[in-house]
Amino acid sequence: MRDDESSIWELLAMFYEGAVYVYGTTLLLTYGMLAIFSIYGIRKFKMSESNTDYNNLLSSPLAPGISIIAPAFNEGVTIITNVRSLLTINYPKFEVIIINDGSTDDTLAKMVAVFELVQVDFAYNATLKTRPVQRIFKSSNPAYSRLIVIDKENGKSKADAVNAGINVASFAYFMCTDVDCIIEKDALLKLVKPLISSEKYRVIAAGATLRMSNSCEVDNGVITRIRPPRKWLARFQEMEYLRAFVLGKMGWDVVNCVPNVSGGLGMFDREIAVKAGGYDASSFGEDMELMYRMIRYCCDQKIEYAIRHIPITLCWTEGPETVQVFSRQRTRWARGLAQLQAFHFPMMFSNSYGRMGWVVFPYAFFFELLAPMIEFLGLVYYIVMTLFGLINWPFAIILLVFVYTYSVMVSTLAILWDQVTFRTYKTWREVFSLCVMPLFEMVVYHPLIMFFSLRGYWYYLTGKKHGWGNMQRKGFNTNDDSGTLLTQTAR
Amino acid sequence: MKLYFADTIFSPIFRRYFFYFDSYPLVIQIAIILTTIAITATIIAYGSILYRRYSGWKRDRRLAKLNPRIDDLITDTVILNEELALGTPPEKIELDLSGFARLKYRDMFVRQALIDRIMHYRKNFVGDLGYLLRQLYIDLDLEKDSVKKLKSPQWNKKVQGLVELTALDMQISDVNILPLTNSKNRELRAEARHAYIKLSKNEPFKFFDIATEPLLMWDQIELFKIITTNKDIVLPNFARWVTYSNNKSIVSFCLKLIIHYNQTEAIPAVIKLLDNRDHYLRADAIQCLGKLKVEEAEDKLVSIYNNQPLNCQIEILKALGRIGSGRHLEFLKSEFIRSQDFDIRKNAARSIIKHGALSQNMLGDLMSVSSEENQLILKHCMNPLIKY
Repeated sequence: MRDDESSIWELLAMFYEGAVYVYGTTLLLTYGMLAIFSIYGIRKFKMSESNTDYNNLLSSPLAPGISIIAPAFNEGVTIITNVRSLLTINYPKFEVIIINDGSTDDTLAKMVAVFELVQVDFAYNATLKTRPVQRIFKSSNPAYSRLIVIDKENGKSKADAVNAGINVASFAYFMCTDVDCIIEKDALLKLVKPLISSEKYRVIAAGATLRMSNSCEVDNGVITRIRPPRKWLARFQEMEYLRAFVLGKMGWDVVNCVPNVSGGLGMFDREIAVKAGGYDASSFGEDMELMYRMIRYCCDQKIEYAIRHIPITLCWTEGPETVQVFSRQRTRWARGLAQLQAFHFPMMFSNSYGRMGWVVFPYAFFFELLAPMIEFLGLVYYIVMTLFGLINWPFAIILLVFVYTYSVMVSTLAILWDQVTFRTYKTWREVFSLCVMPLFEMVVYHPLIMFFSLRGYWYYLTGKKHGWGNMQRKGFNTNDDSGTLLTQTAR
Repeated sequence: MKLYFADTIFSPIFRRYFFYFDSYPLVIQIAIILTTIAITATIIAYGSILYRRYSGWKRDRRLAKLNPRIDDLITDTVILNEELALGTPPEKIELDLSGFARLKYRDMFVRQALIDRIMHYRKNFVGDLGYLLRQLYIDLDLEKDSVKKLKSPQWNKKVQGLVELTALDMQISDVNILPLTNSKNRELRAEARHAYIKLSKNEPFKFFDIATEPLLMWDQIELFKIITTNKDIVLPNFARWVTYSNNKSIVSFCLKLIIHYNQTEAIPAVIKLLDNRDHYLRADAIQCLGKLKVEEAEDKLVSIYNNQPLNCQIEILKALGRIGSGRHLEFLKSEFIRSQDFDIRKNAARSIIKHGALSQNMLGDLMSVSSEENQLILKHCMNPLIKY
């Protein structure tokens, strides 16, 4: 009887170890493949970019119109600088739609005063359902004629606010961003190109690389000096963003499997976004959720779609610098991922959804959603085996070194690919400060992400209420990096 | 010493495991191989980052020294050319290249820098100075470099060659360029089309006849700029392609050119396009008729309205507003009142308002009888602060 029992356990252990091995190898090979794809995509992009003259678009009457949509909630400290920055973007035909999502501070009052806003009788067509829109403002000053401000009831989500913006948008494309993000001046010119230069596909969305603005110098909403963040947590995020955008999304772009476009900066086909139902206000991962629904809509309607990513940095966002804020952000993201995967699970391995059903969704399910759980189980297993003295230490160390060196390689390649795209940082020291981060990621940063992800899943399963939380932000109205810390509340 | 460490400290691992690679389980063998690859790749990546930064820095520094010297030479030789100032025709001027010889311009890096600077100046100077810049490019044998690029098997080199030759107004034979205008590579195809438009003296639009690949929106924007800024171009009647081309993107592009050049002689061909089966083309044709203010098309537009998809209906409403004859105000009014579609009502209202004095009374009536939502639409369209 005891022999039978032990053989069952041994069998289970063998099965578990085999499964984890296959899982780990597939994941690592996928990263390797993405690294190869992404450098191919980057080279192709660079070759194309070297022959592109964006001035042709800048002065063209044929340029498609673009609506920039930026929701704002209690952004009184930085709102004026940020709106001014959006208004000075280089593009011939665009409008800026700011949605004051029921701010309790002076966000709206400041905009009304500075931009000389007056309430207008605006025919608001609520194609997408949102919390009630109370007033719509336009500027009486022709200098701000591109600006539209919507004042609406707080919808307790970015999605609800952006949906109101989409309802007001006049153009066929809209760019969604956060009002506290810093957008590159040529962002519209560069993002619209993939949308209007595809031969085979209808490009329904395009995104670009995001970076941390934490230690950058900013002057009047324009980045004047790029630096990797000085604080270690934000610098880890910079490295993670590079890996996700430059290596990950760029690699997926080559095989037309880009999984999502970041909420910080993305350009979308308005018609498809509206027909897909817009953003889901109840989702914690509204940007990815919208992408999934847009893809679903395209597949249902037999539209040959594509989502594109370009490897250049067009947006800077402020990353959390404290573990507390970081934990809230990552818990929310993980919860959003779990919610999204559960809702769209019927797409998994469904022929009707093509590459979404066979590549994008399974990858997100197995290697993003399940990864923290498998890691956690692995740790528990490791500890149990250690306690029972069943670990073959030399082999265990060899495997650990393998995983460590491989992850360092992938992150270092992402940094290299980024340097191939553009020599973003001015000094060797800055590049070096980023290059050392992969060496510590596995022991410092990664466990944090695993823990917060598991917490997010737990909150999702238990249905715990989760607010958007407060985020300590620095204002961007200084070009002195050591400037005063301007505290404000963000969702 | 070495043996001591191997025997005492590393022995348990190295002696027992590492020296017997073949006897390890497959999993461990793979892990060791991949670890070696990962470490090597990481070291190479670090080296590449260093190398790229160093070579980039070196290149920038070299260019920072070289470009001012090239600029000085171009200024002395071309821009401040004494013979030109004295009124000598540019074709009779012999340029003094001695300064360029000192630049070691046989070096490929220097030659490319020279091409880039000459192209830069050529963008800013036309006329005699433009001619002399072109002459300088030829005298320095830089043309050969560009032609060599054009013959390269790499598409990006071909594009670079085309860009350079086009910028300097060099002739490229049709045999070399026309096949490229139908290349499967989008970038090359687009650049070849640009070059053909710019360089072909007789029939710059000949490739419209043979274009089988689509003219993408981005390409249209670039071509539009080239065509509309080229003063020497001989404009054909674009109705030719509107009538005969099987390439829908060419037809659509020609409609935009017809609008830009106000080619009223193309109107019959555009009206004929209203019977086309492609509703995107029909919408473009309706837009064209509206922008050309073709009054005689109004009746036909109204008569086909009910059989059109939404995009064409909206274009018809817009066209009636642009034409603004007032003959179909009642139609616009009925669409504004009757339609359930928000965009139809908004565009009908906007078109009514565009009629100006002709629709003043109608607007007053509509304001008094319309629903609250329709009144808001009217106010929206009448507000000068709201553009769209």
